[in-house]
Amino acid sequence: MLNNIIYLVLGIFVSYFLIDFIFFRKHSKRPILRTRLINILIMLAILISFYLVVKEMSVYLFLQIFLLNIVDLCVLALATTGIVLIFKTSVTTNFAQGTMATFGAFAAAKQLLRLSATTEYSMTTKLIMVMGVAALTSFLIGLFIDLAIIRRGRNVNAVGKQMITMGLVLILFGFMPLVFGTTPLTIEAFSYDVKIFNIGEMMLILPTHNYYVLLITIGLLGLLFLALRFTKWGLGVRATASNETVASMMGVNTRLITAMSWAIAGALGGVAAFLYAPVGAQITSTFMTPVQVNSFLSAVLGGFSTFGGPLVGALLINMFQSMASFINSVWANVIVYTLVLFLVLAKPLGLFGKKTAKKV
Amino acid sequence: MAKMINRALLKYHISKLTTLNHQLSFLEAYLEIILNAKQTKKDKTLMEMKKRHSEILEPLMMKAGIHSDNVETKKQDLIDQINKKYHWHFKALSQSKKRAMKKQASSDKINHFADKEAKMHQKQEEALQSLALRYTKDENNIAMHQSNYEINKTKLEQKYLTKQTKLDQKFALDTIKIKKNYSDRIERIKKAIEDERPLLKKYAKGLESATEIPQDVILRLENLNMRFGGLLAVDNLSFDVKKGEIFGLIGPNGAGKTTIFNCITRFYRPTSGLMLFRKNPVEVIHLNDYPVHNIIKQGIVRTFQNVELIWELSILDNLLVAAHTTYRSGFFGQLLHMPKLKREEEVMRSKALGILETMGLLQYQYMIPYGLPYGILKKVELARTLMANPKLIILDEPAAGLNDLETENLAHIIKKIRDDYQATIFLVEHDMGLVMDICDTVCAISFGKMLAIGTPTEIQNNPLVRSAYLGEES
Amino acid sequence: MSILTVYLKAFLKSIQKLSKHPYFGFIVFGVVLLIVQLMNLSGLVTPTLMKTLILVMIYSIISLGFALLLGYAGLASLGTAGFVGLGTYFIGHFSGTLGYPFIVTLVISLIGAIVLGVIVGFISLRIEGLYLGIITLGLSEIMKEVFKSFSAFTNGVNGLSFRNFALFGQPVSDLTVNLLIIFVFIIMILATLNIIKSPTGRALLAMKNSDSAAQSMGISLLKYRLLAFVLATIYAVIAGILYMANQKFSIPTTWSLDFSLNILAAVIVGGAQSITGIILGTFMIFGLNLAILQNIPFFQNNPDAVWIINGLLIILVIMFYPGGLIRLFQAIKYSIISRYKKIKHAWRVYRYGEDD
Repeated sequence: MLNNIIYLVLGIFVSYFLIDFIFFRKHSKRPILRTRLINILIMLAILISFYLVVKEMSVYLFLQIFLLNIVDLCVLALATTGIVLIFKTSVTTNFAQGTMATFGAFAAAKQLLRLSATTEYSMTTKLIMVMGVAALTSFLIGLFIDLAIIRRGRNVNAVGKQMITMGLVLILFGFMPLVFGTTPLTIEAFSYDVKIFNIGEMMLILPTHNYYVLLITIGLLGLLFLALRFTKWGLGVRATASNETVASMMGVNTRLITAMSWAIAGALGGVAAFLYAPVGAQITSTFMTPVQVNSFLSAVLGGFSTFGGPLVGALLINMFQSMASFINSVWANVIVYTLVLFLVLAKPLGLFGKKTAKKV
Repeated sequence: MAKMINRALLKYHISKLTTLNHQLSFLEAYLEIILNAKQTKKDKTLMEMKKRHSEILEPLMMKAGIHSDNVETKKQDLIDQINKKYHWHFKALSQSKKRAMKKQASSDKINHFADKEAKMHQKQEEALQSLALRYTKDENNIAMHQSNYEINKTKLEQKYLTKQTKLDQKFALDTIKIKKNYSDRIERIKKAIEDERPLLKKYAKGLESATEIPQDVILRLENLNMRFGGLLAVDNLSFDVKKGEIFGLIGPNGAGKTTIFNCITRFYRPTSGLMLFRKNPVEVIHLNDYPVHNIIKQGIVRTFQNVELIWELSILDNLLVAAHTTYRSGFFGQLLHMPKLKREEEVMRSKALGILETMGLLQYQYMIPYGLPYGILKKVELARTLMANPKLIILDEPAAGLNDLETENLAHIIKKIRDDYQATIFLVEHDMGLVMDICDTVCAISFGKMLAIGTPTEIQNNPLVRSAYLGEES
Repeated sequence: MSILTVYLKAFLKSIQKLSKHPYFGFIVFGVVLLIVQLMNLSGLVTPTLMKTLILVMIYSIISLGFALLLGYAGLASLGTAGFVGLGTYFIGHFSGTLGYPFIVTLVISLIGAIVLGVIVGFISLRIEGLYLGIITLGLSEIMKEVFKSFSAFTNGVNGLSFRNFALFGQPVSDLTVNLLIIFVFIIMILATLNIIKSPTGRALLAMKNSDSAAQSMGISLLKYRLLAFVLATIYAVIAGILYMANQKFSIPTTWSLDFSLNILAAVIVGGAQSITGIILGTFMIFGLNLAILQNIPFFQNNPDAVWIINGLLIILVIMFYPGGLIRLFQAIKYSIISRYKKIKHAWRVYRYGEDD
């Protein structure tokens, strides 16, 4: 199985160099052809390896694992979108995304503990209220971070801003035990039932919690994408992303847009952490770190230049993970990260990235 | 086949000769630096000794009544010093008196101040008198003083002479020693160079017909094409740049001038076409075969349209960066700071200082470029190109952002560089005054196509160039 | 008596002459560290302080390598932790488990470091800026997973202990290890100083400031990116070896993102281009906590609160002193000098009155 994939990757490498050497050597449009060839070969590689793995593990198992892993995918998609939103407006990769989100999850868990005494509301209502608390807390933290720090550090360069967000991680790490105590908290799932349905001869199991999570995620992301496409704020975000100075000169209130982006990214993170908490069992200050790392990788894999690309990246990483854990559960993460590394090496700006030419 | 072997051998011998020449010039430069340092040290010691001696002799001279301007001024200096010292004393005294008056102190205290002032005056008088005594002619014992002066003078002169001869001897010995240390190596290198020359001639003989371009051409572009997507930035362009001339490339915005430069310096890979460069009298290379960081080794250096200096290094270090390829110490030599590296650094530093001096930038040597005026930065970039012993200097809009006076100065500097360093200069410029003033040949292009090539006056009168700049005449 | 003063004067003069040498300060620093070590033997310095100092020295070596990468070559990498971890496992496995002689282990580690550095260097040629940080983070995660899973080499999640450190066939005491750490620390400082003052250092800075200018000046990006990463990995692996020799235990969870972030913080806080600054920054991030803050009751009760100070330091330094704390100290020095001049002027006015 693994051997087949290794042969495939090797074959693709060799065919790339052979085609490049034999057909494109004397061609006048060699660089363009090369990038096209890389695109096609990567597509082929991904499709063939998917086919191989799915054939090995059967379609049924593949779909079943996918359904069980849907929470991971949704959380990853939300977190990634937050990171991309911040990258678009502040040109920095936000390392504090996961920690901001964890703050929200802590607040939600505390609130849930307080509400648990009352019998006035049903469990689902409570959870939805608590989700609002998580979103609001992270929203406020994001807003505060922008107002207090990012806005003042406008003239800091990109790497400097990245380090500021790393500093934020440390500060939030330090504050969490002070504010919420050191006892680990938990958030309950929406429901512990499962739904069973049949497609053809296959009987698939979908936990109800996953179902809700999927609905919430699609709703939130759909709203966000509509806002980006049709509202003034969305236009502002796109203008700021393309050139902040020019946008502000053209009358776009870039300050407000950046602040709102931080706040909304925070809120998305908060919801993500809230949804992830029942899966991650206990809320600790580091429980979002794997999500954080994965969302960075999926953003890099998809490319920061579009909003849709990172989502595809998240989907790919999620599928890679489920397949890799089928092939070899011990080395699953290593396989996934290595694959992502190779893909990014082949396409440094991400699968959907656009190249901007540098003038000498 | 034989030709190929011949060519390979020629290439090998040329590289060997270049290395040897480099070593020779390096050793000679270093020798000069060491000897200069020794000489200045010797001169400084002697100067100090002379100054000491004159200080001893001056009062004696005065006593003996031997007149000298120098002594008069010295005496005046000393008097001034005393006066100044007492001036401050009086000022301090008056200040404390003022404070005491303000506090309405008792009359005793104020009288005490007056006493003190009187005493101070007395002291000043005494000091001045004693000084006068030291420096006035003593009529009574003039013979004694004169003989005293003579004796002292001869004694000190003798002392000085012995010291001088001693130092001279030491210097000569040192020089011989150092020269001997280096002469062996220099001789060996010189001999190797002599040995190399006939070989070079021998191999070059069979290849004279193989050198593709005429001897006086340093750079030839043949059918150069550069395509960005659908845009043809350079369209089938061919021209020659002759050795030792100032070649100007002009054209409206977007004509592809900088693209041509980027092709020559290998930042871009041309879609098709040849670029031939005469590296030395017998060797012509295809620039397409070299990666971008090896272009400087072949003798082509460029400047940039928007100044690209290393903002975190001082101006002097910026120049040393350009000498990067001329360093011969390896990484471990640098890690351990071997003496060889120190020698090289010293030679390069003196070379950089020399260049800065000719450009009039010496006062900026320790500053970082950040915040310096644009004209200075442009000049620094120009100075930087000279560090790498260039044969062809490519200047991308050297006068952009300069005022008229600076442009005039720049024209002078460019001509001077061409004459002093025997370099060919190839420039792109929008300032027509500058181009017409300094260029020997001008080439006008528009939308990547050649319009005209010729002397500045020919270009000025060319109708095609006019229409490209001023629009079609209807 | 007079002869004594003459000798003393000559001695002082020679010291003055020596003190202008760039090595002087660091060698004096090394001697002071040795004295502190000797004071520790006689019980004048608490063992906690000594332990902290030794740890700060080890971390400073990592920071020095990382500063070459970040401050000079301008490459932001988050893979430091993985490299250091690799160093600990190299010595732990080869010298500890398999019992190879130390020299063999050292050679293996250096070869491993070079290979790893070359790999990351090649990656850095394709991926730049912010992306490089994320990709090296991924690489570090890969290495952490390998440490967790490759039990034969690392003893898995239980951690690898290390006992018998042998030099020239003799098992060495803790004291010797400490002396070795001080020695290596000073050697690394001097090596770094030499590198940054040589053409290589200038080439790295040129590459950081402008790729195109560097290339047109004959600096090969391939060569110097690889060199920067190889140097950084070698420093990290050496520090890893010393860490294992001193701490005698290594567990995969140590070599996670936090560690890389802390090293980054140390370099940024101190000032990435000054060696004094780097050592100062490392002390601020690692030493301050262990040596000083642990004695304050608030931090004893809330050990995580130390992170707040580190985070605040990073943010404040980046926003107000982009050159690091060393710039702050320079600013303080200049303000003291100007204050002194002002006081002197005031005194003159008091004594002599206003200038005419």
